[in-house]
Amino acid sequence: MLAYALRRLLSALATLLGVLTLVFLLLSATPGDPAVLAARSSGGRPASPEALAAFRRLHGLDRPLPVQYVTWAARALRLDLGRSFQDGREVRERLAAALPATLYLNGCALLLAMLAAVPCGISAARRPGGRFDRVSGAVFDLLFATPSFVLGLLLLLVFSVKLRVTPLFSDPALGPLGVVLPVATLGLGAVALMSRFVRASVRTALDDPAALAARARGESGGAAVRRALRRSAGAFSALAAVLVPSLVTGSVLVERLFSWPGAGRLLADGVFARDVPVVLGLTLVAGCAVVVASLAGDLVSAWLDPRLRDVGLLGERP
Amino acid sequence: MRGARGSRAVRAGLGLIAISVLALLAPFLARSRPWLETARGEAALSAPVPWDPDAVDLDGRLRPPGRGHWLGTDELGRDVLARLLHGARVSVGAGALACAVALLAGSLLGALAGLAGGRTDRGVLFAVEVVQSVPALVLVAALAAFLPPSFFLAALLIGLTGWTDSARIVRAEARRLRSAPFLEAARAAGARRGRLLVRHVLPHALPPALATAPYVLGAAVLTEAGLSFLGLGTPPPAASWGRSLADARDVVTTAPWCVLPPAIALVLLVLSARRLGDAFAERSRIPSS
Repeated sequence: MLAYALRRLLSALATLLGVLTLVFLLLSATPGDPAVLAARSSGGRPASPEALAAFRRLHGLDRPLPVQYVTWAARALRLDLGRSFQDGREVRERLAAALPATLYLNGCALLLAMLAAVPCGISAARRPGGRFDRVSGAVFDLLFATPSFVLGLLLLLVFSVKLRVTPLFSDPALGPLGVVLPVATLGLGAVALMSRFVRASVRTALDDPAALAARARGESGGAAVRRALRRSAGAFSALAAVLVPSLVTGSVLVERLFSWPGAGRLLADGVFARDVPVVLGLTLVAGCAVVVASLAGDLVSAWLDPRLRDVGLLGERP
Repeated sequence: MRGARGSRAVRAGLGLIAISVLALLAPFLARSRPWLETARGEAALSAPVPWDPDAVDLDGRLRPPGRGHWLGTDELGRDVLARLLHGARVSVGAGALACAVALLAGSLLGALAGLAGGRTDRGVLFAVEVVQSVPALVLVAALAAFLPPSFFLAALLIGLTGWTDSARIVRAEARRLRSAPFLEAARAAGARRGRLLVRHVLPHALPPALATAPYVLGAAVLTEAGLSFLGLGTPPPAASWGRSLADARDVVTTAPWCVLPPAIALVLLVLSARRLGDAFAERSRIPSS
């Protein structure tokens, strides 16, 4: 297990380094001078050549690209993401200010999703093709195809415009009512993904000959489901790798929709201000979240199922 | 059961075709210039939606649905139905283009990796891993910010984030075929790698990748809508569903009718694509993602 964990950790680090390089290369390959772009989107007036030169010197943009890359990567590894073009504050500082709000939003959404998805998935799996399975399947299909910002707008239309029970923008000062819409929007998107997953894995476990044998010995339905859940724990941990990218994307859109002061909005604002350090840093953080989630999922799966440990660095089987 | 599934797939396919046809015909269906004019320049037969999608009418702002404007007007007095029809061109067009780019890049890279093996294979697998680690919308938004706003660039970028699944599928097929007798024969006859790839591997490895095309299309449409919701991608004043939704958000209390048309259209398009993808996956027994 230790050898597998080390191998998997190494490959995750390599992936992270790849993400770092990809993002940097792509951003520096785009045409246009970041100094000019940043000046144009912040002031409106064209900046003087001296001001542009000073800006380039300040942010190290006057140095050759490989030097910029090495400096940036070395700093990023020490968690130093440089200074924002917009206000000169450290990206790390701005991120630290925004991240708790995003984690809170995602945590609540995940909790909500789990509370809804696990019972729904189990009930659907116990009677495949039954009424509950068909209805919930259709509803989740629809939810799955609905982009998070569309879902949020529809919720906004019903609860803020028609019923007037929730505010138009998220407002933590109002207590639960002020945050329920963004949380529900993000959560409902995750419910669709999760309950399909729960249904499929419980179904597989219940279809197993071992489950039939247990039933023949007189095992109750509830015990069979508990056993099925335990046996599909490995499959659940793989869910993290699928769920996290959709949560990250959802956060960016939902935070913009509800003016939620989190990391997703920081990224969107950075994109509009052509703020290279902020965009680079937050893209890297999003990549990290995905890599760490898939690492954690794989480690838990391998811990539960020793057969999964015999893989090479890139997931190929010997 | 089988019949029900079949008719579901047919409905999804027909929905996809209907939306595409509406998108193709949008400049013809929604325009202020009449279809037929009399000799004196009067409208003899006007288009079914006699409004230009970009025509600003500040006196007719935020009109609720009714005669004249069937789905109402938005905050600049533009006809919602005309913008819905023209927006379909962006969504369907960007989705289809991105899907084509993704499948092309993915199957070529995947076939190359599977056939060549060794270092090439590891390189492609690593690239797949890296690209999959950054959520598509984040990567595309980060890049789109530093590029001139354009429909084609946005579609291209979305395509370049979506090639990973088809690359994996084609790679697996190509690996399976690598030691097949007909490939040995072709190699013995002196075929070069390019010929092996195009004439012998791709025809076998492509169908399973093509079966995932509806999924890729659905994902591309979603990313494009998110991108234009954020205000990137196809530049204004061109209508796109994502941008219409972002605009509708600002007037949601005064003009709630602006929200539903693009929202429903977007969900229908993605749902049809997913359903068709499910049907394809079931037929070709590919594990769906």
